[in-house]
Amino acid sequence: METSEKQFVEASEAHYGRWNPNSVLGGVFSILAVSFLFYVIPRYIEMPFSMQHPLLSPQFLPQLAGWLVFVLSALLMVDGLINPPKRGEPEELRRGVPVMRQVLMLAAGIVYAFFFEQLGAIGSGIFACVLLFLASGLRSIWLYALTIIFPVVVTLLFIYLLNVPLPVGTLWESFFQI
Amino acid sequence: MMKLMKTRVKGRILCALAAVSLTYGGLVQADEWPEDNIRLVVPYSAGGTTDLLSRKMADLLQKELTTVVVENRPGAGSTIATAQLARGGRGSDHMLLMASPGHTIGASIYPSLRYDPLEDFAFVRNMINIPNVMVVPSSSPYTTVAEFIEAARTQEFSFSSPGIGSSIHMSGELFKSMTDSNLVHVPFRGSGEALPALLSGDVDVAFENMPTVYPHIKSGKLRALAVTSPTESEFLPGVPTLQEAGKEYGLETYETYAWFGFIAHKSFPAEAMVKLQAALDNVMASEEFKKFLPQFGAEAGTVVGEDFREFVQKDLEKWSDVAEKANLKR
Amino acid sequence: MENFSEVMALFLSVDNFLAIAVGVIVGVVVGAIPGLTATMAVALALPFTFSMEPVTAILLLVGIYKGGMYGGSITAILIRTPGSPASACTLLDGYPMAQQGKAKKALKTALYSSVVADMISNVALIFFASYLAKIALNFGPPEYFWLICFSLTIIVSVSGDSVIKGLIGASLGIIVSTVGLDAVYGTQRLTFDDYNLMDRVSFIPLLIGLFAIPEVIEFYTSKVAPHIRTAVSGASLTWKEFKGLLKTIVRGSLIGVIIGAIPGTGATSAAFISYSEAKRTSPRKANFGKGEIEGVAAAESGNNGVAGATLIPLLSLGIPGDVITAIILGAFMIHGLTPGPVLFQENLTLVYALFCGIMVSSFVLVFVGNAAIRYFSIIADIPKTILLPIVLMFCIYGAYAVNNSTFDIGLMLVFGIMGFIFNRTGIAAAPFLIGFILGPMFEDNLRRTILISKGDLSIFVRGPITWVFILLTVASLLFAIRRYWMSRKEAMA
Repeated sequence: METSEKQFVEASEAHYGRWNPNSVLGGVFSILAVSFLFYVIPRYIEMPFSMQHPLLSPQFLPQLAGWLVFVLSALLMVDGLINPPKRGEPEELRRGVPVMRQVLMLAAGIVYAFFFEQLGAIGSGIFACVLLFLASGLRSIWLYALTIIFPVVVTLLFIYLLNVPLPVGTLWESFFQI
Repeated sequence: MMKLMKTRVKGRILCALAAVSLTYGGLVQADEWPEDNIRLVVPYSAGGTTDLLSRKMADLLQKELTTVVVENRPGAGSTIATAQLARGGRGSDHMLLMASPGHTIGASIYPSLRYDPLEDFAFVRNMINIPNVMVVPSSSPYTTVAEFIEAARTQEFSFSSPGIGSSIHMSGELFKSMTDSNLVHVPFRGSGEALPALLSGDVDVAFENMPTVYPHIKSGKLRALAVTSPTESEFLPGVPTLQEAGKEYGLETYETYAWFGFIAHKSFPAEAMVKLQAALDNVMASEEFKKFLPQFGAEAGTVVGEDFREFVQKDLEKWSDVAEKANLKR
Repeated sequence: MENFSEVMALFLSVDNFLAIAVGVIVGVVVGAIPGLTATMAVALALPFTFSMEPVTAILLLVGIYKGGMYGGSITAILIRTPGSPASACTLLDGYPMAQQGKAKKALKTALYSSVVADMISNVALIFFASYLAKIALNFGPPEYFWLICFSLTIIVSVSGDSVIKGLIGASLGIIVSTVGLDAVYGTQRLTFDDYNLMDRVSFIPLLIGLFAIPEVIEFYTSKVAPHIRTAVSGASLTWKEFKGLLKTIVRGSLIGVIIGAIPGTGATSAAFISYSEAKRTSPRKANFGKGEIEGVAAAESGNNGVAGATLIPLLSLGIPGDVITAIILGAFMIHGLTPGPVLFQENLTLVYALFCGIMVSSFVLVFVGNAAIRYFSIIADIPKTILLPIVLMFCIYGAYAVNNSTFDIGLMLVFGIMGFIFNRTGIAAAPFLIGFILGPMFEDNLRRTILISKGDLSIFVRGPITWVFILLTVASLLFAIRRYWMSRKEAMA
């Protein structure tokens, strides 16, 4: 009992303290669950004009799942406060990651998410691949040839062989069309 | 086949590289139409009836005109693809959409549509019509429509459909509102899920598409009470139409179809339309098309151009009315 | 068998063998590409079959189906990108194995489990079709409801280290699954008036997002680790190991056959149930989810056991159990054939020729699969600095291709970020996926049952099948609770 008492209060090399991932996660999720139950459900789930049975309600399953999340995350929070989890090891790798690396990844994600139709499959593919290669600090010029070859080959493969149309890119279309 | 593939690849490379469009670009000369592949948009996912029919039609049409590429663009009934077609833009003079009751039902039940289901489109022609059949399980005590309606006015019955807003569901809602019967809709996801419940008698009745229930009517597991088309179907001789079997119960104008036809953007060039309609006439006159129809219990579509628009308009009025009565209008 | 020669005359043609081979190859390749599913491949191949002989046409489609079922596991194992929904279960242990340099072993296990399951499933199709079809017809909404309840209990066994977190994940999956127009009333649920959400959240973007994207994010938010050459050419699956797995594979196949024979349940559930069952009975329970070879075998056998079995309700009743069989049904109809009892009476020769072809397709899968392993396993040797950008590109193209929609790309990235948060906080992705798949089935069947019963709830216990599944559900829950207490005690001690 005494040993667990100690873990409870103080963080150590092997264990987290009271502010451990589990209690924080539990806390965050219970807040989210409550706002889902009392704000999102009534506002964004329309009720039908009439129902044959209360179990048929469109709100039934979301409510059930919402309450489950609430109860479980409350449990998780309590559990985290009583038994702080052990520290994992992979955290070493996550410290001191160059900011540039993460920014470039984010940029690649933005290219795909917002400019896919404008740049087209090939254009955004090349652009994002280059960004991600830069993020890893690849130096060889020959490797960068891959960033062109792959998007082009794969796009053509999708379009001709599999008959799956990918966007050409509205930017190029309007540029060449004038 | 090889040649087809080649032309398709060629056409697409022109398009993909876009550079060539410098020379080819600009206004479309109608006598050159089609100068590119035709894109046939299917507003449903691959594998459904609409998809299957579209692919067959594409196959037949490309023997007449040029390569036809089928694109699936499902979502929100069929309204996402339809909205995309309505927006038009580059390439819309080579774009067709396989419209079906989803076009009119979608317009009746989806909120704030971003297009006008009639004004924003050019109507090419109606290709195929498939009647629905009112079927009960063979264990059901009812053998005529009249008996069924009598019973349904005193007790509650369930009818199955492959999903809310399908022509099968709406046929049932139309029946319900016209006859004042007690029908409860039980939605399934696809006819594959709906059928076992019907065969085993878990649901009492359905207004299913002909090809889905035809084999089961033949094998005696289901009993056909009526067809929903205004004329009897040659596939089910002796089975009355709902109009005639239910005329004393308010069904004298009952008529539903799963209809399929091509629509295009409203600015579809008139000369191209003439060419396309002529090609489709050839398709419909072909042996292959005629052989294909009975396999789906289908009939050849009849209405062309503006008549097709009128047909769609009537369909739209009917479903808007039903949607309102069944509280489906959002 | 007086018409044995007729069957052979119909079956033994170059076209048929070619169709099977081409079908399996196309299936494996397409199945292995993220976002491109076997369903899509079958639909795209359909027009090519219009001009073929009926047997050839259907064998081509069946070949693609079977190849696709296996192909999905290749990328699941190698790059944690499930090519098909069902292979999401395979990656739970397949990907860790690949990370430990045992990619080849995992791939071979997946292949041979698939092939064995495929054969068992074929045998069931040929000999027990009419019997299994009867079970399918006895499955009404209340029976489905309890089957789904039972399936939901497997969440416990795929929750990873924390059952509570697993259950939270599953509940979140259920919430996401309710987005869209309500199935019964057509009212809007959590769509926020967005058209793209009205047909529910697209499945493939969610799947890829949840599993593949977090790997990419994880890589770019960590320091560059030196590339470890895993040498896939390394150890293969030994005969002894395979023998040890046979029991699991056979059990998985049988689960797959039963689930497959019931229309509308699907390979994904079969894979997870088989996996959960293997974990429950395995002496190496603790190793599941960390690269356990038995986990791969269980998942793949469950998944592929379904392939032959979904043809049971199709051929004997004319009822398609999933989208692919619906397309195959279409192919039958285009050739003027109607699956169902009538087919067996009028075209028995054709049915037997089909059976022959389906058996042959299993053997073809062995060869094609082995070749595929040889070429695809190169992927495991590519450094992640080069591999991951290309994987991401494939994922993006695949997500777009499903519905031709850029919205799905955004959706996939959102689920990718969510999957990444899950990873960092120890919530397993698999329960979320199960919640997402089974949530709507649970709700649909609950509501259907109430609707057809007209309010009489005794329908929930109407027959022996319901009782069987109620008992299975309760037993499975009790088992899970007992195991949970035991593990708590161990952790405390």
